[in-house]
Amino acid sequence: MTSLRERVATPARAAGVYALLVAGALAAIGPLLLTVSTAIKTPSDFASHSALAPPQPPSTVNFAELLGGSHNLTHSIWVTAAVTAFVVLTQVTFSILAAFAFARLTFPGREPLFWVYLSTLMIPQAVTVVPLYLMMVQFGLRDTFWGLVLPLCFGSPYAIFLLRERFRAIPQEVVDAARLDGVSTLDMLVEIVIPLSRPIIVTLTLITVVSQWNSFMWPRIVTSGTQWQVLTVATAALQGQYNSHWTLVTAAAVIAMAPIVTLFVLTQKHIVRSILITGFR
Amino acid sequence: MRSLGRTRRKAGEALTAWALLTPSLIGVVLFMLVPIAIVVWLSFYRWNLISPPRFVGLANWVGIMTNGRFANSLLVTGAFVLIVIPTQTALGLFFANLLHRRLPGSGFFRTLYVLPWVCAPIAVGVMWTWVLAPSHGALNTLIGHRIEWLSDQALALPSVALVSVWSQVGYVTLFFLSGLGAIPETITEAAQLDGAGRLRIFWTITVPLLRPTLFFVLLTTAITAAQTFDTVYVLTGGGPLYATDVVGARIYYEAFQNHEFGSAAAMALVVFILLAAMALLQKLYFDKRTTYDLST
Repeated sequence: MTSLRERVATPARAAGVYALLVAGALAAIGPLLLTVSTAIKTPSDFASHSALAPPQPPSTVNFAELLGGSHNLTHSIWVTAAVTAFVVLTQVTFSILAAFAFARLTFPGREPLFWVYLSTLMIPQAVTVVPLYLMMVQFGLRDTFWGLVLPLCFGSPYAIFLLRERFRAIPQEVVDAARLDGVSTLDMLVEIVIPLSRPIIVTLTLITVVSQWNSFMWPRIVTSGTQWQVLTVATAALQGQYNSHWTLVTAAAVIAMAPIVTLFVLTQKHIVRSILITGFR
Repeated sequence: MRSLGRTRRKAGEALTAWALLTPSLIGVVLFMLVPIAIVVWLSFYRWNLISPPRFVGLANWVGIMTNGRFANSLLVTGAFVLIVIPTQTALGLFFANLLHRRLPGSGFFRTLYVLPWVCAPIAVGVMWTWVLAPSHGALNTLIGHRIEWLSDQALALPSVALVSVWSQVGYVTLFFLSGLGAIPETITEAAQLDGAGRLRIFWTITVPLLRPTLFFVLLTTAITAAQTFDTVYVLTGGGPLYATDVVGARIYYEAFQNHEFGSAAAMALVVFILLAAMALLQKLYFDKRTTYDLST
């Protein structure tokens, strides 16, 4: 009896599978590698050789121009980092608080309220951006830090949903034993529920970092000018302005991608798990 | 005495619960439910933020239905979804099957495949404007022809779809891979003993057993694809001549370029209804077909 896996393990078959896997990998990261290669060329090197030729020699001139000088992407990096840090911290914290209430506390109206939360998952972003923008204008928060973070920082129904599942899985005996020892509700959250749910919290934190760092539409709408310009908005603006200065434009794309790619490579297992658990986009 | 204590504890618990819920409740009400109410209200008004809002009845609705631009954007979005979803689902299934053989190094390949997906769509778009650039672009240099990938009326939408597929395939692959992992090997082995070929096993065993995964993947990727904005914004800006004017971009331009917030609101509501209908249809289709419980 041969299993599928044994059957595939003949050398010729394995070689065929590897050939296809390599082809897929080239398609996936080829464009990324070529982009990096262009980003480390001087403009004259790029203009005088084939677009696919390796840099001769590699140069950091584009990065220097973007990070220092008049473009000052460094400022955008700080804005993005501040916005991301704030949103991740508040969103995860408030989601934990709400999920704990839904999972482990009884109060009148719990189930209907949870359904209201769940139903908001159906609302597409395209529907809410226009009214949110008008609200921010009315609040006088257009082009401010608060305008960037306010709609996102009060917690995410999806995170609440996932955390609630996990919090409910904690055995009632653990909670009851703590109650008998006189542990208060809040201490129970901090000392028992959160430590026992660490993996899912890490997962949610990572995925929120990625989506917040990469977000574009809301920052593009609610800010103007450079004071609160996040990295994605700065990159798009640069591309519009320096169309066909490809070494500069690709370097900006590399700067925008590099932190998340690094984070992904470092926490690869966690992020893959995050994607599978949250199905997140 | 005891019941009084319990009542008091219950009241205290409810109070704690509401206190813990307050922040998220503010978010849900103020930034999700109120906006929906505003969108409905706004769709009956004309407002450019300069002069005060003016009630116009159904004018926005009639306007978006009769002016061909919104219809065009719905058609473009439909075509985009129809190119992207089958392509990336087929590729995802294909690569998931390859990775599922768990040859040495599969984990490494899996990482490489997911990499495009974690990159910011804006950066991906910027990167591909260079890759697809007519002169000095990577693709045209590679094939030695000058092709206007993004400015040719017929090629622009497939090109944008290609970029979208490129960034999503890894995500889709990941889900199919985990779905495949949940299929007990005994079933496929039994089929093999009965003399079923590889393709036969794939279509009659793997695909039916993958149905829950397939449902989830199709639903989420279709909803995401129907709302595409970032990549279109940098790659084509909806052009040439509205050939890639997907509905996400149309709403954005209607609101933030033309300052027609009322008709943008009406468009957004149509999208909302269409997406909900799409989710419902997919659910009905998958409910009608048998799913198999492998939990035992």
